[in-house]
Amino acid sequence: MLDLEDVHINRGGTHAVRGVSLTVGRGEIVSLIGANGAGKTTTLAAISGLLRPRKGKILFRPQENAPAIDLTTMKAEQIVAAGISHCPEARQIFGNLSVTENLKIGAYLRNDADGVARDLADIHARFPILHERGSVPGDKLSGGEQMMLAIGRALMSRPKLILFDEPSLGLAPILVEQIFEILETIRRDGVTVLLVEQNASMALEFSDRAYVIEAGEITLAGTGKELASNSDVQRAYLGAA
Amino acid sequence: MTLPYLIDQLVNGLILGSMYALVAIGFSMIYGIVRLINFAHGDILTIGAFAGLAAFASADLPFPVVILIVLVAGAVVGMVIERTTFRPMRGSPQVTGFIASLAVSIILENLAIMILSAQPRTFRIPAYLNALVDFGPVSIRVIDLMIVVLAIVLVIALTSFVRFTKVGIAMRATAENYDVARLMGININRMIMLAFAIGSALAAVAGLMWGSKYGQISPLMGVLPGLKAFVAAVIGGVGSISGAVLGGYILGLAEVLFVGLLPPALSGYRNAFVFGALILVLLVLPNGLLGRNTETRA
Ligand SMILES: Nc1ncnc2c1ncn2[C@@H]1O[C@H](COP(=O)(O)OP(=O)(O)OP(=O)(O)O)[C@@H](O)[C@H]1O
Ligand SMILES: [Mg+2]
Repeated sequence: MLDLEDVHINRGGTHAVRGVSLTVGRGEIVSLIGANGAGKTTTLAAISGLLRPRKGKILFRPQENAPAIDLTTMKAEQIVAAGISHCPEARQIFGNLSVTENLKIGAYLRNDADGVARDLADIHARFPILHERGSVPGDKLSGGEQMMLAIGRALMSRPKLILFDEPSLGLAPILVEQIFEILETIRRDGVTVLLVEQNASMALEFSDRAYVIEAGEITLAGTGKELASNSDVQRAYLGAA
Repeated sequence: MTLPYLIDQLVNGLILGSMYALVAIGFSMIYGIVRLINFAHGDILTIGAFAGLAAFASADLPFPVVILIVLVAGAVVGMVIERTTFRPMRGSPQVTGFIASLAVSIILENLAIMILSAQPRTFRIPAYLNALVDFGPVSIRVIDLMIVVLAIVLVIALTSFVRFTKVGIAMRATAENYDVARLMGININRMIMLAFAIGSALAAVAGLMWGSKYGQISPLMGVLPGLKAFVAAVIGGVGSISGAVLGGYILGLAEVLFVGLLPPALSGYRNAFVFGALILVLLVLPNGLLGRNTETRA
């Protein structure tokens, strides 16, 4: 469904991503793991159109047998419209918007008011706290609540593919577990997931496949299980001696 | 001091405050979305005044149509300024944007002097707007009532738009974070342009009001009201629409009462008073009355 082919991205004068190729299949959870500064966020920014790669292709096939479109020539809003949603690093809730407004703005490009209302109700059912605190400004929520809001907001565009940038960052272990279970249910609902994580053990446990990125290059790829049992991965990312 | 005199002064303060508020809103909205002060904003008031003069002079247009023409003229100029000056500067250091808008202001003022001559012109309004309405001890001109009512209507319309509509929410989201707004599918260029259009339309209407109220307009008429409206926006808390409105009315009332109630010998200090008030407010409340600390943009 998503294919990156030899993508190079410059960021602030550095060649941050150096020839990344990766594939995400329909219905998969794929994770991209790597250390600080490896180029994970930069890669996602290019997929969602916030950054333009200086070289390479990013092909997206919204429907099974539709022609692939190259995202590198598209604007961020066209990419959202094509069915990709991006749940950004550090949640980036709109602090001046209420919780409900944050959710509604996630559906900005949709014109089906009834569908939006139904999806809002679904999200409220899934995360009742977002209903209870609907009129509270976004920046008054706790970290865990903000994460749920960020996920809900990303779902409101009815995406086919969601990009998650370190959803577990800064959350208590019990919440981390919960967040990963939510990702699992999102996938079960038919949405494909590309996940970026530093928390490799959780990411590999929940992923069908994974890639390791180091200094802007993919150095390893495999199924979640394979990578979890790879000794290099264990040494570098899973804290094994 | 008599009661009618005091009421007259209060009404004058409300009128001046209405105009300051309308101009201050634009400063605030534009700052809120691009984190820059548009130094050419006061000149939009001038443009609005001359557009109003032209509209009144050219045909027997009903007042609402004149208002509409002035609103559109202001919006168009605001969008052109955004597109030609602010958009190319996006991402440059703040100083660059300040200097660029200062340049626009100088260009507009000199163009106006070249085309229109520096001579002040009489701003004539139809007789029915000059008619007096009796309110017991005082009588008030129709135009003066209209200025206050129109300002209130515009402020309510704008706040409802920003608070409740989808585009209003998208505008607030854009003001908070460009990249995340783009991830929602928002075309941020369009939102920024819209903020300039709305802010400038309101400043232009203030120019129409200024001409109607004081009866005289000139190419540099926007400079001082622009500066004072900027003070009002800062007092209210730049970036906050309600703060700009509050700051505008406080400043308008305070200025008129300062001149009207203190000994005439002091009235020459009215501008010193306005800017003194600014310094005092900023010493006590660095973010203004209703401002939040929003210096940084993620
Ligand atoms: N705004 C920026 N300006 C300049 N360089 C940047 C900027 N953002 C990131 N970089 C550089 O780009 C490279 C990749 O950064 P990126 O944010 O993609 O890493 P990451 O894998 O997401 O790291 P983290 O796990 O810390 O989020 C790094 O070397 C970083 O220093
Ligand atoms: Mg990152």
